[in-house]
Amino acid sequence: MEKSLFRFIWKNSARYQITILLITCLSYPVSFMLLDLPKQITNDAIQGTAFPREVMGVELDQIEYLAFLCFLFLFLVVVSNGIKLFLNVYKGRLGERMLRRLRFDLYQRVLRFRLPHFRKVSSGEIIPMITAEVEDVGGFIGEAIALPAYQGGMLVVQLGFIFLQDPLLGLAAISSYPIQAYIIPKLQKKVVLLSRERVRNVRVISDKIGESIGGVTEIHANDASAWHSADLSDRLYKNFRIRFDIYNRKYFIKFVNNFMNQLTPFFFYLIGGYLVIKGELSIGALIAVIAAYKDLAAPWKELLAYYQMTADVNVKYQTVVENFDPQDIYPLERIKGEESFNLDGDLVMTNATFAGGSSGQEVFGINLTAKSGKTFAVIGVDGSGRTEVLQMAAGLLSPTAGRVEIGTHNLEGLCEATLGRQIAYVGGSVHVWTGTIRDNLYYGLRNRPLDEPSKEHASSSEYRRWMEEARATANPEYSLDVNWLDYDRAGAKDTEELDNRVLEIIEVLGLSKDLYRLGLQSVIDPEHDAELVQRILDARHVLAGKVQTDPKLRNLVELWDIDTFNASASLAENLFFAVPKDSSLQLEDVLKNKRAVKFLEDTGLDERLVEIGKQIAEIMIELFSDVSGDSELLDTYSFIKQEDLPEFERILRQMKAGKLPKKTRIADRNRMINLAFKLVPSKHRLGVMDDALQEEFVKRRKEFRDRVGAENDVITFFDNDTYMPTLTIEDNLLFGRPRLDRRDARQRIDEVVRELVMELGLRQPVRRAGLDYHVGVAGSRLSAHQRRMICVARALMKSAPITILDDTIAGVTETDRELRNGIRKLLEGRTLIFGSTNVPVKDEFDAYILLENGRVSSFS
Amino acid sequence: MSIDTEVAALRKVPLFSGIDQTKLRLLAFISERMEFQDGEDMCVQGDVGDSAFIILSGEAAVVVDGEHVATVGHHAIVGEIAILCDVPRTATLRAVGTTDVLTVSKDNFLKLLKEFPEMSLEVMRVLAQRLEKTTRDLADAKAHS
Repeated sequence: MEKSLFRFIWKNSARYQITILLITCLSYPVSFMLLDLPKQITNDAIQGTAFPREVMGVELDQIEYLAFLCFLFLFLVVVSNGIKLFLNVYKGRLGERMLRRLRFDLYQRVLRFRLPHFRKVSSGEIIPMITAEVEDVGGFIGEAIALPAYQGGMLVVQLGFIFLQDPLLGLAAISSYPIQAYIIPKLQKKVVLLSRERVRNVRVISDKIGESIGGVTEIHANDASAWHSADLSDRLYKNFRIRFDIYNRKYFIKFVNNFMNQLTPFFFYLIGGYLVIKGELSIGALIAVIAAYKDLAAPWKELLAYYQMTADVNVKYQTVVENFDPQDIYPLERIKGEESFNLDGDLVMTNATFAGGSSGQEVFGINLTAKSGKTFAVIGVDGSGRTEVLQMAAGLLSPTAGRVEIGTHNLEGLCEATLGRQIAYVGGSVHVWTGTIRDNLYYGLRNRPLDEPSKEHASSSEYRRWMEEARATANPEYSLDVNWLDYDRAGAKDTEELDNRVLEIIEVLGLSKDLYRLGLQSVIDPEHDAELVQRILDARHVLAGKVQTDPKLRNLVELWDIDTFNASASLAENLFFAVPKDSSLQLEDVLKNKRAVKFLEDTGLDERLVEIGKQIAEIMIELFSDVSGDSELLDTYSFIKQEDLPEFERILRQMKAGKLPKKTRIADRNRMINLAFKLVPSKHRLGVMDDALQEEFVKRRKEFRDRVGAENDVITFFDNDTYMPTLTIEDNLLFGRPRLDRRDARQRIDEVVRELVMELGLRQPVRRAGLDYHVGVAGSRLSAHQRRMICVARALMKSAPITILDDTIAGVTETDRELRNGIRKLLEGRTLIFGSTNVPVKDEFDAYILLENGRVSSFS
Repeated sequence: MSIDTEVAALRKVPLFSGIDQTKLRLLAFISERMEFQDGEDMCVQGDVGDSAFIILSGEAAVVVDGEHVATVGHHAIVGEIAILCDVPRTATLRAVGTTDVLTVSKDNFLKLLKEFPEMSLEVMRVLAQRLEKTTRDLADAKAHS
C-alpha cells in the first residue's frame, strides 16, 4: 500500500488532478477579466469620450458600448461561477471516489490478514480507522494538487510584478518568508506528533468501549462499572489534554503567520518611504507595490493553511495505513482468484510446523496422511496443537515450515475459490450471521454471483452508473441482487430440492424439533407460498371441525367465530374482530381511522366504552393506588401504569363533574376507551361487561367491517377462509384463543395442534417456514447448541470432498456418538477429519493421531 | 360472576378474615378463576403445592391414596397452607361436576404480603390463634390419655 498520501493520490487520480489544475488555470483569465471589467466600465464607458467605438467590426455609441460591457460582465459572472460550480462538484466527486477506493482497499486488506494477525488487532480499533479516520482524506484529495499549484502560481506572478517594480522592495516583500519557512514546520511537526497521539488515543477509547460492550456481563457480575468508568474517563482526559495542546499550537502558528504578514508592510513604508523621499522611487510605484503586496497576502495565507491541512491529513492517512500493511498479508489473488478446481487425493502433512504463536498454539513436525474418502481423528486436549493442525489442514493457517498437500496441490498456493469450496471447516468457535436460518445454511454456497443481471436491469441508467462507479474506484463488479446460490454444488436443481436437502441434514443433526417450533412461531408472507397457506387453511378447518365435535377440545379453546363472543380475547378484538395490519401497530390504533371513530359515535358504542373504561379506571385506582411503584403487581396486573394513575384520577373527576377540558376532551375519552379495549372478560372479572353488551358487540361486528372496509391501513379482519399475514403459523392454524379459565389450556391445545400437523403431513412445510426464522444479531436468538449445529449444517451443505470438524459434538455421550454416526453416514465416501479432546472417540475412525504439546505422541 | 362474589368467598376464609376489603379485592383480582370439568384433578397428592383453591360453585372430592375421604363444597378453601410454605399436597382434589374455583397462587399472595405488611400481621394473628388452639388440643389430648 502507498506509504504516503501523495503517492496514493497521484497513483489513483493523476488524470483527474491534472484536469482540475487545467480548469483552475483556465478560470484565471476569466476572473482577471472579471476584476478588470468594472474599471473599464467606469473609466471608459461612463467617463470616456471618443465615441462611437468599434468593437469587432461593429460601431457602438456610448450607451450601446455601456450595455455591451455590462452584458459582457454578466456573461463572465455566469462563466466564472459556472466553472467554480463545476470544479467544486468535480473535486467533491473525486474525493468521494478516492475515499471509496481507500476504504474498500482497507477492508479488503482486513480480509487478507492471516488468522494469527487477528490476535494482534481488535475490531474496536479497525472500525474507526476504516470509517471515521479516513473521512478527512476525502475532502482533501480534490484540493491536493490544484490548490498549491494555483495559489503558488498566483504568488509567483505577484512576486514577479513586485520585483519588476523594484528588486529591493521585492526582497522586503519576501523578507519574512524564510523565517516563516523555518519556524512554522518546526511548530507544525509538534502538532503532527500530537495528532498522531490523538488518533491512537481515540482508537484506544473506541477499543475500550467495544470491549465494555462485549464483556458487559463480566462488568456487572464483578461490580467493575466504577473501574471501567474511571478508565475511560482517564482516556477522555488524555484526549482533552492532547486536543488542547493542539489548539494552543495551531493558533500560535496562526498568530506567528499573521504577525509576519503585517510586519512586511512596516518595511514597505519604512524602506519605500525612504526611497521616495530620496527620489529613488516614484510614489506611484510604491502604491502599486503595496497594492500588489495585499494581493500577495491572500495566496500566501492559502498556501500556509494548505500546508497545515496537508500535514494533518497526511498523518491521519499514515497512522491508518501502517496498520494495514502487515508483512505476511495474503496476496490479493488468494481472495480474488476465480480459479477453482477439485481437490482429490489424500491429505498429507509433511513435517508441518507452526511456530511463533504463544505456547500452546504451536505444533512441530507433524506428519500425517488422511486417506481420501476415509475418516481420520485428531485427538488432543486444548493446547496440544489440535486446533492448529486442523486449521492447517483446512488451509486457514500456513505452516511456518513443512507442507500441507492434497493430491499434488500445496494448500499454501491455492485460492480461496478452491479452498473454501473444496474444504468444509467448523472450528471451536463458530459464527452465525445476522439474518435468517436459511441465509446461514446456504452461506457456503454463495461464493460468486452466478447470473448476469437481467437485460432490462443491465441497460438501466442506474445500473450503468453503479458499474461505472465500481470501475472508477476499483471496487468489485458483483451485483448483489442476482442469484449467488450454487445449487449444483449442493446437488439440487431448485430451491425446493435445496430446502429438502438441508432439512435432511437438519434431521441428522437433531435440530428438526427446534426448527419445527421456530416454524410454528414464524410469520410468513402468504403471497410467498400459496400452497403452504392453503394447507394451513385446510388444517384450520379440520381443527375447527374437531373442536365442534369434541367437547373436551371445545373446553380448551375459543375459536374466532363471527357470531360468538370470545371471552378469552380483549374487547377490542371482540368488537373489531381483527388484528393489526403489521407488528408496529396495535389494535388501539383503530381510533386513528376516521371511519372507525365515526362508527363508534353513530352506534353509541363510544359512550358504552367510555363507561366501561371509567369503571375499570375506578377499580384500578381503588386497587392499586396503595401499591408501591416498583411492585411487580402493578406491572403484571394493572391496566394503568403507576405514573399515570393521578392523570386518570383527574380525568375521572372531571368526567364526573361533566367538564372535561375542551383541549384534551378527545384524548381523555380515548384513554378511557383504550382501557376498555384491553379488558379480557374471562381474565379480568371486573363485572363491567354484561351479556347484553357482549351480544351487542357481536351484532355490530359485521356492520363495523362493512363501514371501515378491508382496504384500511390499520387492521385485517378475521376471516375463517383467509390466512392472517400478521399472525404466526400456529395462531393461523388454531384460529382462536386457548381458554384462559381452563388450566394449562395453552399446553394442551399445543399438543393437539402438533398431532394435527403430523397427521396432515405439515411438519416439513412448517420446518421449511422455520428456515426463514431471523436469528437475531450474530445468532443471539438461538441457543449456543443451535448456533453450532447450524454451522455444522452449513459445512455439510457444501458437499465438499474434505470436511473438517473441530471440537464439535466431540463428546463421549450417547447423543454425540449418534450424531457422529449420522454425519459419517452423510459424508460416506468423502474425507472427514475430526478433532476431539476425548481419546475414546478415536476408535470410531479409520485412522487417528494423538497430539501432546504440539507433537504427535501416537498414531495408527 | 364478578369480583364481588369472589371477594365474598375470600371473606369467608378464616386466614383472610382480618384483611380489609380493598386488599381482598386486589387479591381476588390477581387470582385466577378456573373452571374444572367433572373428574378433572385440581391438584395431585404428593406434588408440591403452589396455590390454594377456593370453591365458588360445585363440589370437589378429596381423595387420599385412592380413597374418597371427603367432599368439599361451596366456599371451602383447600390447600391454603401451600401459599405460605412448601409442603407436598396431602390429598388429591378432584372436581365433581363442573366446578368453579378461584386459585390463589403462592407467588401472588407473598407479593401482596410484601407490599402490605399489615396484611402479614393479620395472617400471623390467625396462624398464632390456630397454633394456640392446636397446642391446647394437644395438651387436652395428652391429659386425657
